[in-house]
Amino acid sequence: MKNRLKVLRAERDWTQAQLADALDVSRQTINAIETGKFDPSLPLAFRAARLFGMRIEEIFHDDDRSSLATEIKKDTYV
Amino acid sequence: MNQLKPVKNSYNSRTRTNVIRLFRWNGAWGAATALMALGPKFLWNNSLVFTLLAVGLDVAIGVGMILANKNYLAELDELQRKVQLNSMAITLGVGLIAGVPFSVMDSYHMIPFHADIASLLILMSLTFVASNLYGTWRYR
Repeated sequence: MKNRLKVLRAERDWTQAQLADALDVSRQTINAIETGKFDPSLPLAFRAARLFGMRIEEIFHDDDRSSLATEIKKDTYV
Repeated sequence: MNQLKPVKNSYNSRTRTNVIRLFRWNGAWGAATALMALGPKFLWNNSLVFTLLAVGLDVAIGVGMILANKNYLAELDELQRKVQLNSMAITLGVGLIAGVPFSVMDSYHMIPFHADIASLLILMSLTFVASNLYGTWRYR
């Protein structure tokens, strides 16, 4: 799963530690999410979305979204 | 710039408190275990009553340590909990895989020493520390 957490954080001039405090997680967790090493749970994704005032899908998106779309399209025609 | 409000009782301060609490329970349990193991010989000349009291104390403090550990894990965030879970799974596996053959080899006198439980505890402790460090490094 890819995300825009780093960009959104940089736009607001927040440090990883500040974002971690605001989301009630460790700084290591923020770093792992930003670098794509760890995917957050749905409650944490919701907290992030609420904090940034955005929808979850505006922050997090699936790596395979394009291939998933192709599969759905294929299924539609079968 | 959109400023964040300072957080009271942050994740880090809660974790620090829980680590200190867990460390104290671990220390108390270690001391109670030492008292239970060495007391009968060096302190109360094998008195059954005192030995039973020491066993009871060790078990009671052990229960406190388990609860402190449970509380510590419950308060961790999801990544830290995942690291801990992986470490515990590896430790349990290594303990089982190494412990059973170790015991069998002792039964058939294939090793020149007695298979002491302490050896297994040391192996499990080292495995837990190593896998925890690896998990922390992996998600650094």
